[in-house]
Amino acid sequence: MKLTRRTFGGVVAGAVATTSAPSAYAQGTTIKIGAVNPYSGPMAQYGDELSLCFELATEQANAAGGVLGRKLEIVRASATNAQEGIAAVEQLVGRDKVDVLIGTYVSAISNAASEAALNNGKLYWETNALARDLTDRGLPNYARSGPSSNEFAARSVEGAVKIVAAKLNKTAKDLKVWIEHEDSAYGTSVFKEQDRLFKEAGVTYGVGTHSARAIDLTDSILRAKNAAPDVWMSTGYVGDTNLLLRAARDQGFKPPAIILLGVGDTKETLDALGKEYLEGMLLISYARPDVNEAYSPGAAAFLKLYRDKFKREPIAPQGMNAFVGAKILIEAIAKAGGTEYEKVIKAAASFDKPLGTYEAGYGIKFNEKMQNTRAFPVIAQWQNGQVKAVFPDAAAGGVAIVNIPRA
Amino acid sequence: MTEFFNIIAVGLLLGGIYSLVAVGLNLIFGVVRIVNFAQGEFVMLGMYGTFAAQMALGFDPYIAPVIVVPLLFALGCAVYWLLLRPLQGEPMMQVFATFGLLMALENVVLAVTRGVGYSVNSALSQVSIKLGPLQIGLTRVIVLTAATAVAIALGWYLKTSLPGKAIRAIAQDRRAARLMGINVDRMYMISFGIGTALAGLAGCLLAPLYTMSPQIGANFIMPAFAVVVLGGLGSVAGAYAGGIIVGLTEALAGYYLDPALKQAVLFMVFIIVLLVRPQGLFGIAGAEEVGLREEH
Repeated sequence: MKLTRRTFGGVVAGAVATTSAPSAYAQGTTIKIGAVNPYSGPMAQYGDELSLCFELATEQANAAGGVLGRKLEIVRASATNAQEGIAAVEQLVGRDKVDVLIGTYVSAISNAASEAALNNGKLYWETNALARDLTDRGLPNYARSGPSSNEFAARSVEGAVKIVAAKLNKTAKDLKVWIEHEDSAYGTSVFKEQDRLFKEAGVTYGVGTHSARAIDLTDSILRAKNAAPDVWMSTGYVGDTNLLLRAARDQGFKPPAIILLGVGDTKETLDALGKEYLEGMLLISYARPDVNEAYSPGAAAFLKLYRDKFKREPIAPQGMNAFVGAKILIEAIAKAGGTEYEKVIKAAASFDKPLGTYEAGYGIKFNEKMQNTRAFPVIAQWQNGQVKAVFPDAAAGGVAIVNIPRA
Repeated sequence: MTEFFNIIAVGLLLGGIYSLVAVGLNLIFGVVRIVNFAQGEFVMLGMYGTFAAQMALGFDPYIAPVIVVPLLFALGCAVYWLLLRPLQGEPMMQVFATFGLLMALENVVLAVTRGVGYSVNSALSQVSIKLGPLQIGLTRVIVLTAATAVAIALGWYLKTSLPGKAIRAIAQDRRAARLMGINVDRMYMISFGIGTALAGLAGCLLAPLYTMSPQIGANFIMPAFAVVVLGGLGSVAGAYAGGIIVGLTEALAGYYLDPALKQAVLFMVFIIVLLVRPQGLFGIAGAEEVGLREEH
């Protein structure tokens, strides 16, 4: 075909119409965020809690006018394991036409789902999965707004060295620690960082590993008891942590301080052990909504939002961490001007907000692997049947540490 | 030396848990000749039954068996009659049916509880007995005592009572038993019901020790199969002794080697026993093929 001025004009006009059509179309549509979490199976209540808090964040943004002139919508797909994580992403992208993906309560699901998201050219925004490897992979479509297992490990070492050693009038080098961890990737990754940090601090420590599915863990407790540590710290799941604590009680194992990482801060442990036994136990945990407002601005407003919407108390502190993660994602999309993962990652990487900007006490400064370096758990403590933040001081807001050494 | 005695005590008490779970499993295998994969789920149901009895009626977990055990017996009878009896003569299908039952029970409880980990408490939960340098939880002593009592009572029942003799008769030769006028289907149903009721009893007594989850039955069933094979298929004494051996092996390996290695050591012992004595320590050669037999 001969190119004339008329045909050239027609082609240009057609091209302009074609390229402008999606943006005109996009103005009227919602931004769909695919939420990958376990909504059935043993972790359903926590997966559900995360996605409910994603929804709270999007509803809050929608009430303020949405993002880029568009409303936000959470679309769920359930994944209870890695294989289902891949299928969930395929379903969300292929059938539901989501623009970005967010998750995840379980690291293994995040690992598989984020790779599937990359294959589909979508952003995978991580809020809650802890395994350090997830960001260390350097996937170009992946960022984590919350803390990783390294931050949990670092807080536990701070708890031992700064809180327990001071209470026992010991130096770090005089402190004896026992590190107990379950033997899957979760417990092992936390231990690896604890190992590095305790060596740096010159702390003496012993190590015990166990299976989270074991019927009995008295042998693990007896090994720890023989070492007579000042601090006994454990990384595990709810069932094995409760079993360890029951065995410790039966065996009369009473270390001056106990630190539990990631678990032990819910009603499940309170019901199992009772408030008298738990009194003074330290917990490495996400900031809870009732944390000091000066440390976590907006936490009280989040709690009100949650209570008004769901007519109950939050099930676990993971929820507020998910809420904050979704808020940061929405801000990144707004700054990026679109949902393409390259743009959103670039926009997120440009954020520089100090600690204490968000409800969980977080700021934002992503490193080169897109791990937020200003997201930390707090140290909390069981006090009279309630979990109270006690460290850092700003989070504690004057709440004193009790029962160390344990009575 | 104190350490050694302490870990032996721990192993014996753990053995009590395994024995209690394995006795019912072995009865079902020995008599009905079904490898019941759902036995762990019956234990789980016993635990949740205990929780329900405490919530609804305020029952202590050690009183809950009054309600839970008969209910589990009825459930076992119903499962046999409605699910397994129609599959008689198709042993593989029966195994798959019990596996299906496992999945169904687990997911129903999951749907009802939403995966929340429940606990029950007893006045005895926090009692710890000090015997010289040894310290042991009373709840575990109760489990070991119950396992011993159950093994003795079940052995006595099978040996001396008329229904027990009928159960042994059908275990030895179901055709001959039928010719002697024994209602084989009915005795199979009763045997399955007893096996299920024992799992319910185990659930009640184990409930104060664990935080319940719908998947907790799976934690018991793998070692319980090892106990049954180790002790001897179809042997009540074998299930009891096998449980104690497995408990001691795990405790000693966990303490002196590494807790992460105790399952590996257990299954090494398991393989060695199978190589040296394929019928298990108390079993009779061929029992796995033709059911429980007695030496004459």
